[in-house]
Amino acid sequence: MMQPGFKNKEMKKNRLLISFALLILIGFTACKKSEESGSQVYFYIPDGFPEPVYKFQNNPITPAGFELGRKLFYDPVLSLDSTISCGSCHQQYAAFAHGDHNLSHGINGLLGNRNSPPMFNIAWFPNFMWDGGVNHLEVQPLAPITNPVEMGESMSNVLLKLKRSSTYPNMFKQAFGSDTITTQATMRAMAQFMGAMISANSKYDKFLKGEASFSTLEMNGLQLFRTHCESCHKEPLLTDMSFRNNGLDANFNADPGRALISTLPQDSGLFRVPSLRNIVLTYPYMHDGRFKNLNDVLNHYTSGIVQSSTIDPMFASGGITLNAQEKSEIIAFLNTLTDFTFISNSRFKESQ
Amino acid sequence: MNKPKLIFALLTVLSLSIVACKDDDETPSPAAPTAGTVTLEITNVAGTVNVDETGATSYINSSGESFTVEKLKYYVSNVRLYNGGTLVYTMPESYFLVDESVQTSTKLEIPNVPAGSYTSVLFDIGVDSARNVSGAQTGALDPANNMFWTWTTGYIFFKIEGKSPASPQADSSFIYHIGGYQNGNNTNAIREVNIDFTGDSLVVNGAREAEIHVFADVLKLFSTQTNISIANLSLQMAPGVNALLIADNYANMFTFDHIHN
Repeated sequence: MMQPGFKNKEMKKNRLLISFALLILIGFTACKKSEESGSQVYFYIPDGFPEPVYKFQNNPITPAGFELGRKLFYDPVLSLDSTISCGSCHQQYAAFAHGDHNLSHGINGLLGNRNSPPMFNIAWFPNFMWDGGVNHLEVQPLAPITNPVEMGESMSNVLLKLKRSSTYPNMFKQAFGSDTITTQATMRAMAQFMGAMISANSKYDKFLKGEASFSTLEMNGLQLFRTHCESCHKEPLLTDMSFRNNGLDANFNADPGRALISTLPQDSGLFRVPSLRNIVLTYPYMHDGRFKNLNDVLNHYTSGIVQSSTIDPMFASGGITLNAQEKSEIIAFLNTLTDFTFISNSRFKESQ
Repeated sequence: MNKPKLIFALLTVLSLSIVACKDDDETPSPAAPTAGTVTLEITNVAGTVNVDETGATSYINSSGESFTVEKLKYYVSNVRLYNGGTLVYTMPESYFLVDESVQTSTKLEIPNVPAGSYTSVLFDIGVDSARNVSGAQTGALDPANNMFWTWTTGYIFFKIEGKSPASPQADSSFIYHIGGYQNGNNTNAIREVNIDFTGDSLVVNGAREAEIHVFADVLKLFSTQTNISIANLSLQMAPGVNALLIADNYANMFTFDHIHN
């Protein structure tokens, strides 16, 4: 026999659930597919986006898994001397790039040789890093953790430290049903957190949905972008995920790029085409952060292309022709790609 | 019936059935052959002597170069047992990390092998491509075992490190980390090893002892297919053409010693 008080509580709970459900419906009518947990939607496919590569198939997002991933992301315990966390070089205000750093410093002030890339929509990435060397979201964090000039740590030692901690074993138990801490569980928690970083609410996105209008400048910029840039910075992710030589250098002794991974000479000097989403926030630019601002980048494409044996066919006969007015129009358009809700979303902040 | 009573009743029925089983077992009858565990024991050797991983013993490779061994680890996977030309049993999820510094790791336990006779065992050195592209793995494949390239995703299939006066490195080291799972790119270092019991039969039946002894000779790493000289190749720590030369050699470093029945 059900007690009256229990029934009331149950009804209250139901009402609460219904209102949560309504909130979700209102907030995410654009979603095609959702990774839901309880009343919270962690992952969805924004309007116009393709199917993601990482589908959370063996790793459904849960509140506990996501929280664990967030804690790990911001915890310097992942580095050798507990000085560097993932968040050190991937800052939310910079769309998870390293704000105003051409290169980043790891443990003991050691400097890397590549610009820290931003992080968003990474569930759509077939591989990671400027050279595509990492082939799966779940093994991505292992690269910076074990890189001697980044976090300089071994995964075996990370596991030891997590096991010794007073908080982690219980968090792993909450997230995965077991307090046995493995690389797999650690990486899957991080994949839940990082994979849920979706950025699809810029002015450009609203414009596409008819919810915002572009100024003449922005509209001209969009048209110029579609004429000159879109073949590589493909909509809606604003990258086609390919590796290309965009004419930065005559030789690639300093960094062979994609060839490091493929060992193919024709891949020398090729680097991942970055997404242009949030591009205003992720300065400086290029794989080595050589260009301080978007003007420098556009000037490179109009007058700075360096020919070499692996130059992309796009630039084989030189750069793009743009006058000063057109450059400012493109930059006006690039400014519409900033997603302010993403960089202020408290879900991705370091938990207090 | 309330819950405790139900549980009590179930327990009673259960204990009665256990007693009944015991009675059956005591009835003398010829035992049907049952599945058993096969142990594949690999002894890492350098020629005729066991590998000394402390680095205190020097060996001579086919190029006449003296070298020591300080680390020796490799993946054995996809273990299959054959009778004649017929595949009888493939051990599911068979991934073993053989590590010369961990004594127990050189004895590979293959459980649930169907009763019967076997004439050969096949296994792969390396990790199949599926496990190289499917994210974070666990058990023997946990990247924390330090047999995983984090900057160019994939398992290190075979790792040997040591010192040699022939090495051009400042610390006289030679380091071979061999792997690579991609077919299209001339980098597949997975190699199949076929251990034939040379006319003997391994008999599996229940708790009966069934052991296969195999030698893995590190001298053959330098010679069986292609001559590898430490002077010419002292560091190989990525997939690629040179890695494949060593892979072709490790494919032939395993030889049958004997079986225990």
